[in-house]
Order: sequence, then C-alpha cells, then structure tokens
Amino acid sequence: MRYHLGRTLRQLAVTIFGIVTVAFFLMRAIPGDPALYMLGDFATDASLEALRARLGLDLPVWQQYLLFVERAVTGDLGRSVVTGRPALDEMLAALPWSLSLAVTGLIVAVLLGVPLGIISAIKRGTWVDVVIMFVALLGISFPVFWMGLAAILLFSHKLGIFPALGASTEPGFWVQAHHLVLPAIVLGLSVAAYIARLTRSAMLEVLGQDYIRVARTMGVPEKRIYFRLGLRNALVPILAVIGVTFAWSLGNAILVEVVFSRPGLGSTILKAVLARDYQLVQAGVLILAAGVVLINVALDHLYGVVDPRLRQG
Amino acid sequence: MAEHEKSAGPSTGRRRFLKLSGAAALGVSAPFSLFGARMARAAGGQLRVRIGSDISVLDPALIFQIENQTVASHVYNGLVKYDQATNAITPDLAAEWEVSEDGRTYTFHLKDGVAFHKGYGALKASDVKFSFDRVRDEATGSRYRGQFASIDSVEAPDDRTVVIRLKNANSGFLHKVCAFNQGWIVSEKAVTEKGEAYKLDPIGTGPFIFDSWTAGTSVRMVANPEYFEGAPQIGEVVLRLIKDETASAIALENGEIDIAFALQQPQVIDRLKAADGVTMLSREANNTVNLVLNTTIAPLDDVRVRRAIIHALNRKGLIDGFFMGTKAEAHSVLTPTFQEYSQDVPTYDYDPDKARALLKEAGAEGFEFEIVTVALNPYDKFPVPMADDLNRVGINTKITVLERGAYVEARASGRVKSCITAVVGPPDPDSPLVTLYSTVSFPPGLNTSQYAGVDDLLAAASAEQDLEKRKALYEDVLQKTMEDVPVAPIYADRLFMAHSDKVGGLVQNSLFTVDTYSVSLTE
Repeated sequence: MRYHLGRTLRQLAVTIFGIVTVAFFLMRAIPGDPALYMLGDFATDASLEALRARLGLDLPVWQQYLLFVERAVTGDLGRSVVTGRPALDEMLAALPWSLSLAVTGLIVAVLLGVPLGIISAIKRGTWVDVVIMFVALLGISFPVFWMGLAAILLFSHKLGIFPALGASTEPGFWVQAHHLVLPAIVLGLSVAAYIARLTRSAMLEVLGQDYIRVARTMGVPEKRIYFRLGLRNALVPILAVIGVTFAWSLGNAILVEVVFSRPGLGSTILKAVLARDYQLVQAGVLILAAGVVLINVALDHLYGVVDPRLRQG
Repeated sequence: MAEHEKSAGPSTGRRRFLKLSGAAALGVSAPFSLFGARMARAAGGQLRVRIGSDISVLDPALIFQIENQTVASHVYNGLVKYDQATNAITPDLAAEWEVSEDGRTYTFHLKDGVAFHKGYGALKASDVKFSFDRVRDEATGSRYRGQFASIDSVEAPDDRTVVIRLKNANSGFLHKVCAFNQGWIVSEKAVTEKGEAYKLDPIGTGPFIFDSWTAGTSVRMVANPEYFEGAPQIGEVVLRLIKDETASAIALENGEIDIAFALQQPQVIDRLKAADGVTMLSREANNTVNLVLNTTIAPLDDVRVRRAIIHALNRKGLIDGFFMGTKAEAHSVLTPTFQEYSQDVPTYDYDPDKARALLKEAGAEGFEFEIVTVALNPYDKFPVPMADDLNRVGINTKITVLERGAYVEARASGRVKSCITAVVGPPDPDSPLVTLYSTVSFPPGLNTSQYAGVDDLLAAASAEQDLEKRKALYEDVLQKTMEDVPVAPIYADRLFMAHSDKVGGLVQNSLFTVDTYSVSLTE
C-alpha cells in the first residue's frame, strides 16, 4: 500500500510538472507582452525595457523557466506582475468559489443525469426514452452562457425568485447559497445531459450481458436486475465520466462565472492570460492541474471500491 | 541569478502554502465568510455601482483602465480638478495659484486642513513634490512620464506652497496637474512604507477611503468623515464586478445594484431607457474612435488614397444602423467636450463615386487593405460594415481581429496598415492630438500612422499663453490633419450610465469614470 501511494504521488508530481511546463512555454509563445500591457499606449522603448528588466522578462526564456522551477519547488510562484500580490494567494482565494460551484453543479448533474439515464435505458425505444434523449441533446447543444442568460431572465427578472448575480457582497451562508442556486443549476444542467446519455449507454451495455439474461430466466425480479446487477456494473464508466465532468466544470465554469458575475479560477485565469500576467497564469494552471490529477487518483481508488475486480490492476 | 529576479517577490513559504491549501480545501463554506469581517454599515447607506472589469493598480503613477481610475478618483485629489459637469478647471487641493509673467513658473497654495486617510497625517507640499517627481523618475516606470515632460523642477519651499518651473511656457499646463492619472497626489509616507503593496492599498485625501478589494467580486470604499470639502452623503460605495452587460441591466432593474456605468450595447441601453424605476444618463465622451492609416505604406502614403477611404465609409449609416444612434458623428479627433473644439475643418461625406475617382487618380484601384482591430465589443464588430463599404469601391479589405495583448503588440510594431484606435483621457487637447499626430508618439506610441505634419503647430499651441490664439493654433492642427487624413475619425463616443430612482445628485462626467461624491440615496 505504501509503495502504491509513493508511486501514485510520484506520478502525480510528474504529471503536474509536465502540465505546468507546457503552460509556461505556451504562455510565452503567444504574442503579447506584460510590459506593454502595463505601460500601454504611452510606452516608450526605454520604459518598456526598464520594466521588462524589473520583471525579469529580459532574460532568455529558458533562464526564466529555470528560475520559475527553482522558486516553485519552494512553494513560491512569484507575484502577479499587474497587482504585485502573491500569485498563489490570488488563485487560492478564487478556488473556494470554483469548488463550491463545481461541487453543487455536479450534485445537480448527478441527481438529474443518473436517474434520467437509467429510466431512458429501462424504457429503451419507448417515447420516454426518445423524449429524455432529445432533451439531453438540447442540453448538450445549448451554450452555457445562453442558458445562463435565459435563467437570469426567467428566474431572476420575471419571477424574482433568485438574484441575477451569482455572488453577494453581503456576508452569510444562506445569502451566498441563494446566489449560488442559479449558477449551479445552469452548470449542472449542461453536464446532466452528458451524464444522462452516458449512464444510458453504460446501462444498456450491462443489460445486454449474458448474466443479466440468465438472471431474468432464473426469475430475478426486474427491480433487482436493474439496480443490483445493472447499475452496480454500470457504475464504473458513470463514475469515470462524473470525474471527467468535475474536472471540466472546475476549469470551464468560466462562462457560468462570467454570466453570473461570480469570481472563480476560470475567470481569474482568463483575466491573467489577457493581461499576460505570467505568474498568475502559472499559479492557476498549477491549481487546476493538481485538482484534475487528484480527482483522477481519487476515482481510480473509487473504482476499486465499486468493482473489486479492478483492485488488483 | 540576476538581482531583480531575487527581489521580484518574497517567498510565499511552505507554511503559508499549506495554510492556504487548507483554507481552499474547505471549499464550499469558505466563500460564504469572505465578506464577513468588515461589513459594519456606515450611516449613510451603501451605494452599489457596476463595473465591467476587475480593478488592478491604484497607484497614480502606474494606473490605467477606467475601473481603476474610478476608484482612484474617489480616493485622491489633485492640485486642481475638472468640474464634473462642465470640464472647467477648478481648485482642488490648491486654494489658489499664480503664473509668472513669462508663463514658466506656477506657484500653488495648498488648502489648510487636508489630511491623508488612515492616519497618514496632514497633506504637505512635500507630498505634492514627491508625487510629481515620482512620475517623472524613469525608475518608477510610469506611463505618464511624458505628461510631465514640460516640467523643469518641482519645489516645496514650505508646507503650504508648491512651485513648479517649466522648461517652456505651457498654457495647457494645469491639465497636467489636474486630478486625473498623473495629477493625483499620494502620501509620501504611505508609498515609502508600503512599497509594492501600495499598488492595491492607496492612501489619498479624497472623499472616500479605500477599504478592501475582493478579486473578481468587488471593491469597497467607505466615506471619509474628515473630507476637507465635507463628508459624502453616502456611507460606503461598493463597486461590483459584473462583466455581462445584460446581466448588469437585470441586476439594476432588480435593485441588486444602484448604478450601471460604461454601458456599451445599444440593446441594453434601449432596454434600460424603457425600464421602470431607472434613469438613463448620457453625454459626449472626450474621445473619438478612429481608423488610423499608416502613411508609410504604399498606397496609403498617397493622400488621395486616404481621402478615398474616408469618402468610402458610410459613417452616418454606421452610427444610425449599427450603433442605433448611441454614438455621434465626428468631424475631427477632438469632440465638442474640448474647449479647443472647432467645426471649421475639411469634411468628407459618404461618396463612393468620389472615392472610386480618387483611387483611379492615384492608380490604387483594387489594392489590398487590412484593418487590424481588437477582440473587444464593439471594436471587433463595426469594422465589418466598414470593410463592406471599402470593398464596394474596390478596396480589397481584410479584417484582422486580435486579442488585446497581440493587438497592442502588433500596433506598437508600427507595421500594421491600419488599426482602430481611441484615445480616452481628460479634456486636454494634447491628449488626443499629441498622442495621434506627434512624432514623439511614434510607435510604440499611438502615432501608428507615423504622421509628421503638425509638430510645429502642436509646440506653438502649447507655448501660447493667450487662450484665443491657442485655440486658433489647435484649429490649424485640426484643419491640417483633416486635410492630410492620417487618421479617419469614425465616430465620437457617447457615454451611457443608468441609475435607479433611489439615487439622487449623480452628475455624469465625460471622463468615462463615475464620481459618487455628490450622490445621495433615498429608500
């Protein structure tokens, strides 16, 4: 077990390191210059050079990279070139907002997507199946920002049930929770459709197996077939997709964040990329990469719990 | 390792990392307590203002972007300021000032009883000297260094007196020390003590005290009860970040915010005009939006080609159709908000036949043209009908939309054929004219057309003491530049700001910022 954990941690470190390295060089490969962003329209060559030197941008890229690695291993990801605040602090401040949105969005998605997928599989070929899959297709096809605006118009403007803004400047758990409802539903809906379709096909695949047919001929009740035999065996692919969508939500909640004016990792990274705030982008990518990798590791372990056959692998 | 690399940022430290990771791991519950600490309500109520972009730097030497300027205009004062309604220059920290006969020495007498926020003591003339010298110092890396190029020295003979000596007489000098960007006065003690942290912890003398910034969400300022012109009527101002304009309109109608400023989308403006309980304010901005033509690239180096381009553009159609009348026609790059504005300039009607004839005359029919623009609403959209107009007269026009970072870099290279540029700033004629037409603004500055025809006139205008003569010189600049057309003004910007009926006393300025000092709230 200890050996296993050690190996996992090493793999984790290598993967995250790889992702951050790619991000480092990609950011520097795209056109745009932080010094030009900060000095803007009145910049002169002399002042640009002075600022580049102050920010260390005058060094060759490989030297910048070595410096970055040297500092990063001690937990220092530098400071935002724009605000001067520690980059990691700024990103970690955005993390709780993203996590809370991704988690509640995922709960909505699972609560909706899994049952709908199961019903659709059980009622395969009937109008129920057709309707559910049609709605799911719509859910996947509609852009998230469109759904967000539609939700704001309906629930916030017309009905006045929820606020239009996804975060409040007022304190308190219930106030913030009230503001979170619409963004979570919109994010959840966009993912629910995806989960429903995958749950359906995973269920259908399992229900087509020989042992299910055998169980049926042996007179096992249908409910038991669906939930004990079917769902349990379909859970691994469903879990896999939930894991992937969670990681997806963390990074891609940005559209939801923008529409609902909610802070988060996505919008903070976008802001950093636009400002060519290299340090801030680096910190954001590190957190996202770590999050995605950790979720995948956690899922690998969860598969083992759900399906004992996978434990040996 | 280079020294600057080491000093670029103190180590965050492992312990800090672990602590923050722990906080992040709390995940769901953490955001709900983020605002808890400092929500004590001030007596006069809370005013909530929508901003469209997050703030960044609040240090006047380094400041940019209207959101930062809006915060700074509440926190700081200058020696003089623009009247919100008329743009006239009026006293601010300086009670009065004298100009020497030769126009080269300005002596300012500071008001009594002005104190910096958060216990940083009384305002002294040395703070003013420090503020200006800091912008002038190359090591500060200020984008406004050029604005003070006319200053020879700043002296503070006593605590109440500031003497500024100029290299040459400059009748527009008061604009340079006006309460905007480089003109804002900082506390020497605070800047020195706070160092890098000052960027987001500004200390000024203004009507509001900067309280907190929550990245991605909001900025909070509280009323300064000791403000030298009297405490504001509202207790605190919260600038709320709402990127999407439609969402901000709904939030305003729902009463989740009180003021939505910097509105751009014609549909949103229309919607709010018709909304119950909402008042729409509108006025001319200080800037035009322009098509800058690179006069160093053939055939754009031929004035007939440039005139053909401006004749080919249906600018009125763009304003009426595309912008649904939310913008105004521009005859030059100065708008009527400037004292130096003149309508007596060559004008160019929409005349495709004339455009074709000019192109034929110049032998430039069917040339390849490119409009480089930035991926921001509406700059990425209105060049489409423009390209259509140009194609119709036989100019093969391609539009290149670049993300902002790439756009600024491309424009700074000086090698683009044409680009869309707006010079947003105070009503100081030097701001657009020197920026767009002077050789001191050659790329990487904003004279992307690399035009060199009015340097003498610009220098003469700024040295002229007599206002009428000065206006005449600026008029010459406008006439000459509209004859040569290195820059084709597309439209004059208009500013739209909506507020709920709870808000009283709001005056819209032409600076793109919002000033809430005069605002009161009714329940």
